[in-house]
Amino acid sequence: MPKTDTTEETDTGRTLLRAEGISKGFPGVWEHLILNEIDFDVKEGEVHTLLGENGAGKTVLANILSGFYGSTAGKIYIKGEEVELNSPQDGLEHGVGMIHQEVMLAKPFTVAENVALGTDDSDFSYPLDKVEHRVDQLSENYGLEVDPTARVGDLSAGEQQRAEILKVLYHEPQVLILDEPTSLLIPQEAQQLFKVLRGMADEGFGIVFITHKMEEVMEVSDRVTVLKLGKVMGETDIEETDEEELTEMMLDEKIPIRLERKEFEEQSVSLSVEDIYVTGSRGNTQLNGVSLNLHEGEIFGVAGVSGNGQSELIEAITGLREIDNGRLIIEGKDMTDASPREIQEKGVAHMPEKRREIGVVEPMTVGENLILRDYRDPPFSRLSVLNRSAITNHAEEIIEEFDVIAPDIWKSETRILSGGNIQRMILGRESWRAPEIIIASHPTHGLDRRAVSHTWELFIDLRDRGSAILLVSEDLDEVISLSDRIAVMLEGNVVGIVDSDEADKSELGMMMTGA
Amino acid sequence: MFKFDSIFTRFIALSLVIGLVSFGITVVSSVGINASAQEKKKIAVVTDVGGRGDLSFNDMGFKGADEAAEEFGVELQVAQPASEADYLPNVRTLARTGDYEVIIGVGFLLTDAIETAAKQFPDQNFALIDAVVDQPNVLNFVFKEQESSALVGALAAMTAAHYDYSKVGIVLGIEIPPLWKFEAGYRFGIKWGLDYYEKVTGEKANVDLLWTYTGTFSDVAKGKSSANAQISQGAGLIYNVAGPLGLGILEAVKDNLNQRGKESGPPFMIGVDANQDYMGNGNKVLASGMKRIDRASYIAVKRAVEGNFKGGTEVLGLDDQGVGLSRYSLLVDFMQFGLKGDQIKEENIETIKENWLEMREEIPQFIWTGVNELENLIVSGNVTPPVPSTEEEMKDVRKEYP
Amino acid sequence: MLTRIYEQVKPILDSFLAGLIGLAMGAIIMAIWGYAPLDAYDALFTAIFGSFYGFSSTLARATPLILTGLTFAIGVRGGIFNIGAEGQVFMGALAAISVSLLSLPSGIHVLVAIIAGAMAGAIWSLPPSFLKITRGVHEVISTIMLNWVALYFGMYAVVEWLGDPQRAEKSISAATTSRLPIMVSGTSLTYALFVSLAFSLLIFFLLWRTTLGFELRVVGQNPAAANYAGIKENYSINSTFILGGLAAGVAGALQIIGHPPTYALYSDLSTVRNLGFDGIGVALIGRNHPIGVIFAAVFFAGLNVGARTMQITAGVPLEMVRIIQGVIIIALAAPELIELTNQLLPAVRNWINEVKTS
Repeated sequence: MPKTDTTEETDTGRTLLRAEGISKGFPGVWEHLILNEIDFDVKEGEVHTLLGENGAGKTVLANILSGFYGSTAGKIYIKGEEVELNSPQDGLEHGVGMIHQEVMLAKPFTVAENVALGTDDSDFSYPLDKVEHRVDQLSENYGLEVDPTARVGDLSAGEQQRAEILKVLYHEPQVLILDEPTSLLIPQEAQQLFKVLRGMADEGFGIVFITHKMEEVMEVSDRVTVLKLGKVMGETDIEETDEEELTEMMLDEKIPIRLERKEFEEQSVSLSVEDIYVTGSRGNTQLNGVSLNLHEGEIFGVAGVSGNGQSELIEAITGLREIDNGRLIIEGKDMTDASPREIQEKGVAHMPEKRREIGVVEPMTVGENLILRDYRDPPFSRLSVLNRSAITNHAEEIIEEFDVIAPDIWKSETRILSGGNIQRMILGRESWRAPEIIIASHPTHGLDRRAVSHTWELFIDLRDRGSAILLVSEDLDEVISLSDRIAVMLEGNVVGIVDSDEADKSELGMMMTGA
Repeated sequence: MFKFDSIFTRFIALSLVIGLVSFGITVVSSVGINASAQEKKKIAVVTDVGGRGDLSFNDMGFKGADEAAEEFGVELQVAQPASEADYLPNVRTLARTGDYEVIIGVGFLLTDAIETAAKQFPDQNFALIDAVVDQPNVLNFVFKEQESSALVGALAAMTAAHYDYSKVGIVLGIEIPPLWKFEAGYRFGIKWGLDYYEKVTGEKANVDLLWTYTGTFSDVAKGKSSANAQISQGAGLIYNVAGPLGLGILEAVKDNLNQRGKESGPPFMIGVDANQDYMGNGNKVLASGMKRIDRASYIAVKRAVEGNFKGGTEVLGLDDQGVGLSRYSLLVDFMQFGLKGDQIKEENIETIKENWLEMREEIPQFIWTGVNELENLIVSGNVTPPVPSTEEEMKDVRKEYP
Repeated sequence: MLTRIYEQVKPILDSFLAGLIGLAMGAIIMAIWGYAPLDAYDALFTAIFGSFYGFSSTLARATPLILTGLTFAIGVRGGIFNIGAEGQVFMGALAAISVSLLSLPSGIHVLVAIIAGAMAGAIWSLPPSFLKITRGVHEVISTIMLNWVALYFGMYAVVEWLGDPQRAEKSISAATTSRLPIMVSGTSLTYALFVSLAFSLLIFFLLWRTTLGFELRVVGQNPAAANYAGIKENYSINSTFILGGLAAGVAGALQIIGHPPTYALYSDLSTVRNLGFDGIGVALIGRNHPIGVIFAAVFFAGLNVGARTMQITAGVPLEMVRIIQGVIIIALAAPELIELTNQLLPAVRNWINEVKTS
């Protein structure tokens, strides 16, 4: 067993972190290893991107490198020395910090308190002033603007992520791993983040950046490793490759860029929202008199910076949130005070934004989750008794059609599935009936490009068959390429509705930010 | 979760090691213990759910069996139930071994268990204390509570007369036939005591009886309210025939004494079944009409060991010390129970003894002489307290001894 | 392949290891106090498996524990910490005695007694359900309080209304027509066992094969997703309480009509005391699964039965035996217990905070 790594010195700099032959299997997922003999390294002063589809194993690898998971096999060297990482604390001690895709901060506490939570010197009276001062320093150094005294729960997604980065930086790591950091950010915030990352790389950090978005790869990386189904498909310097080559490595097929659709003609109104007012979770008014009409055979996009009332609008339409004032009409019927069930029974499908939180019941099986909204109806149940074979058939169809990777319909808990797989389950479950109305919130968030294009095709197909689709997304490209009309929301109001033929990205961006 | 795994594994490993080591040690030690065990005759005591340390039935049943075991050189096994559901299985498990000369059920709660087991194991000797089961292999012990009640009745009446109280009281539980014996005996004793008082002092004292059936054996508050009522109507002594309600009666007595700035009675309480004299610091319970469970278990063991055990019902009275008035020696025994059960503290024992002796000395000697005389009369059969067995008979007793 | 098999048997292996740890710790405790652990364990296992009589006694003891275990298990499945089995058992027992005053033909009488017990248990589960749904009162608090109410009500009822005129210490016994026959003569095992087993299977079917059970489990695992799925949360919570109450009520009834020799309640209710609380342990060991609960109840009952022989043949006093039992049970229940307390503590804390601030 070599104590030191002979390939330490290279052109770019010292190798900070090197992993050899990393393999990982999870209980219940036996069809294939999540990771299979992965070699990976990151050097001083570089941004090394991990690129791959959903379920390729990027997150799992990151978690192993940072000590969150133990690996089934393989070795990890830090600065040439073999180490055993059994916990995130171990990782931090050895200078490896990870920023997760989901925010992992205690929401009721302030930024500084969250930072202090992870430190060893947090005695009975930890020096909060000192922590705040240090956080201020760090945020100034790296251009990560966050108020250390603000409560995390009050911050935007971008700010929360910056707080998360600061929390890791507090431990003075040398390697920083970021798992899909841009997934919650608006474009401007993402740009800002890339600047920060570049700056940090120039200061000598080794950065591991995880993404499935090609443009980000090209923008920020020095080197890129492509993962597919737990295997390394290739590793190359960014200068020696291009988008096409990477895409080919990542996928087996080329992706259609633009989708054909039937000519849109004004049809009858399926759903209309009339001047509604809604109170948000924190007691403040989140919708100030929003009105819109959704037509049969139309995709109606709602664009806006996250937190401007889109979530509340969807909750109001689907019955999950009380409408204070105004009316909700579905298929000509007043459904203002209807329950989620009544609205569902009116033929409204809902692909929720919070998939793991409300879209599925994680501890329940894949089969059960695929009938979560349909279990009351035949053939899935008759006289209140569930029909297992009908459910199995149904589940197999959805799994097949939507490429869901699930080990077993009746044995696997849904929690072991990746976010993308869960999203595919929800897409299948909510669309198989070709419902009259579909409320879709960030339907392609977290999906790889192939799944995205599949979803887009699905939406266009449903639209062509007469479904009315309300599409809320932060991905402007998606909204523009899918929608027939686009509404822009700002501070609880619809500030404009445009036909997507005439839509211009920068114009929409200005409407979104109120410029 | 991931950290937990490794800690958990280590924990298992560590525990297994400790476990194996301790098994090793204990194999060696248990071999030693086995070798020293020798064959002895065995007897068993089955307690009710109160178990050892109840300061009453179970402790007394154990005490008698323990003394007998010591005396006759037999081994004593106690089986305590964790719940009512264990009564029958406990008796059965003991009976199935066939090793026990006698299995003693302490208290009426074991009635059904002893009956069922006695039918199932006809060759096994059983004893049941304070209840009756009609099986040829069961020796039942019941008590002439009317005799002890007569003694405390006489004591109460004369003491009340001496302190110029116009009433004596009795607080009873639910009106069931077994309690009539107490009431009848008490009434009889009062009459006898007043007659004796007149004979000795030449004064005719007027002491009436206040009696209350509370309808409960568990509601202590009712004991207190009943006693309060009786005290306010002029009762100088109150006989507790309702188990734990005695605690309430004692409270009422204490309250009355406190109001009048006194330490010791009257008013007094009179205890029942066990020796309750030590309660209230030794100077508030004048005496107790005791039921000697220990005598019963002693007799059961003695007969079984000596080979003359026979089924049937044994009625224990004053003549064979099965019932009686509380005395100093028994007070000391019971304070030992009280100590173990944390009811009283070591440092209070001397105070309680002194208080008790002082309390008893306050009562004129002639009263004690009278009580002793009544006891002799009952033992010799010259006087017999009434034992009503039907409601009619009880009514007659109430008429005769108002 | 090997790892795959390992995954399948891991829960069983875990429980087995936990049991061994418990036994080992028990052995240490006994050794420290100078008792012979090997003798004691020998007595314990002989009692449970060594004889037909022992095993019958174990099953007899397990009969009510299966049901009270189900009460808690159903609760956990439906997202409720139902500590109320204790009081519901009392009510079921009282109802069973009350209807045994009727004169009915024997088969029907048994059925009537069981149904009466089930109904009484279910009715006693309604107040905490109502309080939770309408006022947000946490069920741990309301069920514990109602347990006490049921206890004192039961003692009052046994003394005042249902008392045996000849024997102050107990209630009247169930009429012979309403008694379940003894299955193995010379033991306490009655056909009540089959009632418990049938109820377990029924609950299993209900939870995993019906829409009601589906709703109940969704609400239990994720109320927000339940709302999204169009499930009426309050209805589901109420069903959870009622199902639990039914199970506990049946347990109470069986303790009367299927519990020789007395077929009655003692006036301190000792006939049915602690069954509800033991049921929590049973559910935890049985991983809150209706079938797991059956095995856990048998195990639990085995410890009870073994306690007797540990006392009688190995001379280990009851207090020590109970310590050993406690250690073993905690070792077995620990994984589930940790998970549940992690869920429970924040909920109670939130509730208290809400009460404070409102």
